[in-house]
Amino acid sequence: MALELEDVVKRYGRKTVLDGVSHRFEPGLTLLVGPSGAGKSTLLRLIATADKPDQGAIRWDGARLGRDRRPLRRALGYAPQAVDLPEDLTAREFARHMAALKGLELAAADAQFLAIADAIGLHADVNGRISTYSGGMRRRLIFAQALLGAPRLVALDEPTAELDRESADQVSALILARAADAIVVMTTHLADALAPRARAVLRVEDGRLSPAPRAAPSGQAIAA
Amino acid sequence: MSAVAVARSSLATSLARYGRSWGLWILLLIAPIGARFWVPRGDGSTIMITIQGVMPAMNSAVIGVSLGVVVSTLLLPVAYAYLRASTTRRQPWQVEEVTAGSRVAIALGRFGADVTLLFAVLAALSAAGLFLSWLMLPPGTVRPLATLFALWAIAAPALMGLAAIRILWDALPLLRGPLGDLAFFVLWMFALASPIATADATPGYWQNMADYGGFVRPLIHGTGEKDPDFAIGFTKGSPKTMPIDVEAGLTAPGYLASRASWMAIAIAVAVVAGLVYRPHRVRRRAGLGARLHKLLAPGTPPAANPAALPAPTGRLPALGLVIGEASLIGAGRPFLLIASAIVAAGLLLPFDAVHPAALLLLVFALTAHAGRAEAKGMRPLALTAALGPWQRRAAFVTAGTGWAAALTLPAALRAGDVTALGTATATGAVAATVAATLAAVSGSAFAPRLFLLILWYGYVSR
Repeated sequence: MALELEDVVKRYGRKTVLDGVSHRFEPGLTLLVGPSGAGKSTLLRLIATADKPDQGAIRWDGARLGRDRRPLRRALGYAPQAVDLPEDLTAREFARHMAALKGLELAAADAQFLAIADAIGLHADVNGRISTYSGGMRRRLIFAQALLGAPRLVALDEPTAELDRESADQVSALILARAADAIVVMTTHLADALAPRARAVLRVEDGRLSPAPRAAPSGQAIAA
Repeated sequence: MSAVAVARSSLATSLARYGRSWGLWILLLIAPIGARFWVPRGDGSTIMITIQGVMPAMNSAVIGVSLGVVVSTLLLPVAYAYLRASTTRRQPWQVEEVTAGSRVAIALGRFGADVTLLFAVLAALSAAGLFLSWLMLPPGTVRPLATLFALWAIAAPALMGLAAIRILWDALPLLRGPLGDLAFFVLWMFALASPIATADATPGYWQNMADYGGFVRPLIHGTGEKDPDFAIGFTKGSPKTMPIDVEAGLTAPGYLASRASWMAIAIAVAVVAGLVYRPHRVRRRAGLGARLHKLLAPGTPPAANPAALPAPTGRLPALGLVIGEASLIGAGRPFLLIASAIVAAGLLLPFDAVHPAALLLLVFALTAHAGRAEAKGMRPLALTAALGPWQRRAAFVTAGTGWAAALTLPAALRAGDVTALGTATATGAVAATVAATLAAVSGSAFAPRLFLLILWYGYVSR
């Protein structure tokens, strides 16, 4: 199980956001750090097949992704930074919608969603309409849907932003648990508490990807 | 910041957003294309206006009036759907509502932008009208000013009124959603019917005020009859023509005053919208409302099982998707409550009484789910899921068709009529397809909801 980027280039108009990025992602947690606007979210969008590179290739399990990106999507859990959540649905209904789109068994997905919601402090509100949710609750809901099923590739865009310490710790615990047997790629503004336990910390800057120093040098990569 | 600066800024930002919206270009195209089919040619290829079974003879003013008919019958609902579903649907109300900026100024600025946009469409229609005049009328009889006068006198107040309605609907929580679309639909039908209903009234200002669309009175006045048989539609063959002096109708006592009054009312409604504006916030319910809300709410969730295993892939993912879509079309207890009532009514009432109610419920349920599933901000999730958007749309249509059949099944069985079930299924499939298509194009529920309401009305009044 591996995700490979080969000489990936992404441009928006005249601006080159990613300029020949190559990397092999393996099971475990990979953190993407770097300044705002450096291209972290763009890289994550390419990994999640939400966008296509202008040049270069993305390989999943050794096979180059062409027009048909379903092989990767069947294994994907994706939490973008912002989602226009359906305000008139309850969180549970929204999770059911996402489970159906992922082709999961609906009853089992509902049970799994309740368990995830419980682990991140959202359980009491899952039958409430999303319109009543705070920013942090929305962020946790977007994160929770990404973990439905057993995604082998998880792409998370700033999942702990806007969260209080306790919620961030709960989310981080689930991220680390998932990283035990999946490739988890996560953007973060800061090399936060997860850095010591990450397999790799990469810096995105000037369109390039390079190893970044960890926040705590004594850290231990998981599932390495 | 002064109120003038707030209004100016609201106007400028709304216009900039419209200018960058591709939907605007579609709207600008619809008007001239509509003109091609709405301006009567008498050869059966276009919609025709007939009075006492006779078509008005074409001249510059009649072409202007015919284009006015395009506005009132075609453009008003299309433009309403555009305004509600377009780029300015989303406003930064979270930060706007806590500023000291005058809500009246904001409302007037946005009203001004909507009016400017609609007048741009009217200008495109005017250009089409002048071109058609040049094509259709004998050389030397083309009078561009007569066409423009007729068209703008009829259409400008109607479009200003539409912009005012949009601003008012945005101001009130109840009208921001589906109820607003239903209210517009009722108002629009009322506006089309009222000039016919007031045909016997004393000619003058008030009778003209009842003609919001503005095209009925000039046509009728020109015939010299008090209540002539007036029709708009397709007719086979070429009916006779007769000269109708629509300019006399346009300049008849009370007509222009009534058009000016509608413009003034539109501006007043925009001001009122600013005055009655209610912020977006979760409502606190009390008393009966609170009890009803509690009854209709899903209640507390079941206990979580921390040892729950990751959900496996379904054995039939496509079927799971259909079931998922069906459950979200029917999301919420209010839907299930009304659906149960319709099914129960099917045990007692004839199919023809139950079917319209089932379809109306589905119009709201289908468009609500289609709108939320196609929302632009949901695309990153929808696009990257294992089952893609087209599979979801197919599942949506299947689920919608299933709901249509299920809601009318008892009535069809009771009648022992297989055809009835076929009708229910077919109309459900059409409604679901229209909802999916228009929601995919517009990214919201507004356009499909209004269009389906119009189709529903046409179907039940056939």
